[in-house]
Amino acid sequence: MSAVIETEGLGKRYRTRWALAGCTLSIPAGHVVGLVGPNGAGKTTLIDLATGMLKPSAGTIEVLGGRPAVGPAQLARVGYLAQDAPVYAGLPVADHLRLGAHLNPGWDADLARRRVARLGLDPKQKAGTLSGGQRAQLALSLAVAKRPELLILDEPVASLDPLARREFLQDLMESVAEQQVSVVLSSHLISDLERACDYVIVLVDSRVRLAGPTDELLATHHLLSGPRRDPASLPDGLQVIAASHTDVQTTLLVRTSRPVLDPAWTVSAVGLEDLVLAYMRQAGPAPAAPRDGHRHLEVRK
Amino acid sequence: MIWLTWRQFRAQAITAAAALAVFAIVLAATASNVSGRYDSSGLLTCHGDACSGLASTFLSNLASGGGSFLVPGSPYAILYFASVLLILIAPAVTGVFWGAPLIARELEAGTFRLTWNQSVTRTRWLTVKLALTGAAAMAVTEAFSLLQAWWAAPIGQAVGLGGSSSIFSEGRFGWFVFPTHGITPLGYAAFGFALGVTVGLVSRRLIPAMAITLAIFALVQFVTPLWIRPHLFPTSRTVTTFAAAGANVRLQSNPKLAITVSAVPGQPGAWIMSSDGINAAGQRVSAIPAACELAVSQSMGSHRGTASGPGSAAVNNCVASHGIRVAESYQPASHYWPLQWSETGMFLALALALAGYCYWRVNRRS
Amino acid sequence: MIEFHLDGRSGVAPYLQLIHQVRHALRLGLLHQGDQLPKVKDVVAALAINPNTVLKAYRELEYAGLVAARPGVGTFVTGTLDGGSLAAHGPLRRELQRWLAKARRAGLDDESIEALFASTFRSASEEDIA
Repeated sequence: MSAVIETEGLGKRYRTRWALAGCTLSIPAGHVVGLVGPNGAGKTTLIDLATGMLKPSAGTIEVLGGRPAVGPAQLARVGYLAQDAPVYAGLPVADHLRLGAHLNPGWDADLARRRVARLGLDPKQKAGTLSGGQRAQLALSLAVAKRPELLILDEPVASLDPLARREFLQDLMESVAEQQVSVVLSSHLISDLERACDYVIVLVDSRVRLAGPTDELLATHHLLSGPRRDPASLPDGLQVIAASHTDVQTTLLVRTSRPVLDPAWTVSAVGLEDLVLAYMRQAGPAPAAPRDGHRHLEVRK
Repeated sequence: MIWLTWRQFRAQAITAAAALAVFAIVLAATASNVSGRYDSSGLLTCHGDACSGLASTFLSNLASGGGSFLVPGSPYAILYFASVLLILIAPAVTGVFWGAPLIARELEAGTFRLTWNQSVTRTRWLTVKLALTGAAAMAVTEAFSLLQAWWAAPIGQAVGLGGSSSIFSEGRFGWFVFPTHGITPLGYAAFGFALGVTVGLVSRRLIPAMAITLAIFALVQFVTPLWIRPHLFPTSRTVTTFAAAGANVRLQSNPKLAITVSAVPGQPGAWIMSSDGINAAGQRVSAIPAACELAVSQSMGSHRGTASGPGSAAVNNCVASHGIRVAESYQPASHYWPLQWSETGMFLALALALAGYCYWRVNRRS
Repeated sequence: MIEFHLDGRSGVAPYLQLIHQVRHALRLGLLHQGDQLPKVKDVVAALAINPNTVLKAYRELEYAGLVAARPGVGTFVTGTLDGGSLAAHGPLRRELQRWLAKARRAGLDDESIEALFASTFRSASEEDIA
């Protein structure tokens, strides 16, 4: 499967601070990718680089095999929904659709009309008077109806109430099912994304900490608990993500591609939210993922 | 993109059309009166020196006639003044209300993230917006100018024939008349608009952009006739007598010699830029000769309290008899259109340069 | 047409929950042979989950021989899960009753029995996977 977004050592610097550094990703097509991280971690920077709103300070980025936003054809293949869903407050809903129709050669007017009708938006209502959820839906309609191959959404549900949030995600997932479009959406809450995403990227402190399909991540991370152990005595091939010790007990979050057969450990699965939080608590340079043949052990407190 | 430009410009376009319509109606209602008076003033059939007297009479009637409690003073004078002022500020208005919001409003509201990610490039977006809205600004301003020129044609002709009265005294080269007639309004409109767009782009906030655009444009409008227009073409100089130049010594409280002139001999309709008194050796005379002080104080007495009025004939004769002649620097009438083209071209070039900067800046992904 | 629901807190993977709900519906007789399962698009619109999750669940059900996908039309029930296999449950049920009696005689209360059963069941499942 080809990659929708491919970056190599991508970085962006503002004066002295690197908002994003050393970002190397290969995001496959056909997924809903969740980009998670605390505020200020670099999510919007990465998204702005992917949509061509920013130029890299270091490294390269390719979107759908081309440079971001480099011409009308490339722009037509990517749909973008900015944070807080900006729309023209003075233009009615219908005029926003006309905007889409005039500015996009691939515009599917039928789809746009159906969506607006299904969402219950009044075509004559000025976009400035819509609720936050309705504005997000309108903006999503504009992004979806141009029939892109990739949809990029920057914190689309951050400012929405829980009901609007759920409705937005329902709507988005239906569009994904109907149109086979790849999606990258960012959020600072993994719980927003857990249901919808099947690929996760964790961004903390300007660096990618974790990236991969959700299934694979959940299958290769385990919570081990057992009697208190010296970390150096752990077997090879286990990468420790988080560790906590009491005087009698040790609990580890480990990443491994091999099964853990040591009977001293009680092995249990990790939920996606706990997994992401554990990575978000890490500080310092991102560790490399263990591969077979690269036996090494890094211990984190 | 054309649809979007129109849709976002619609309200402003309607306002401009309405203003233009009102302007046209008001002028049309009074145009026949103005031309009617001109026809019955005898200026159509006059010859030579008689004309300037008739012209001044026509103009002073125009400037003083009428006046009801609604319209203090002559309606024609007010209309003339207001219409010229309107054309003068029109480029500033389009710059502030059409130009400044063009990009600034999109940046402030964040809608650029919506529009610049549709399937049109920023270059195309900017091109259509600049071209259509800029053309509209130029067309509207020029339309105001042409309407006013049509209405005030008799006045212009009368002034051209040598007449002068209160506010109807500027010829084609006048401070207010030059930038509001001919093709200069096009240049000013283009420049004002481009200035607004650029300031809006750089400041990214609408209200400050509007204020700054207004300030810069006003400055340019003030500086141009003062320091730029006089130097667009080399000036001509001539030395002549008091009588030939229609010169008058200005009576003022200090003893400095200041001469106002009304003509350049052999150069009807010239733009007189400066006039000085010079002595037989060709040097500038800075003070009224002491011998003429008596005549001055006698004349000042009859213009009680007038600190700077025209001299009486006695003063003029006295000064002239002391060997003082008038040196005038001027642009001949034939330079009118070259000056128009130069000034318009200069502002058009400035507008294009500003537009070029906007392209660069809009396309720059920081 | 049955309706799916999702328990986000159960710790059970969403696709497994969907599979369980289909099997449960089959057992209860809510689904019969020839019935259509909800379209992927509709499941996803109702639950806001990833379409691949639904596809995975339907695929697993297809491997288990319970459903069949007809491209362009939908996914239809082909197998059954009721009646016949209950007969085999008889001996298992009696064995379980005997074990429960033994556990009570050993002094285990209800909670301990449930805990013992749960942990043994879990470790047995994991050994199957590992």
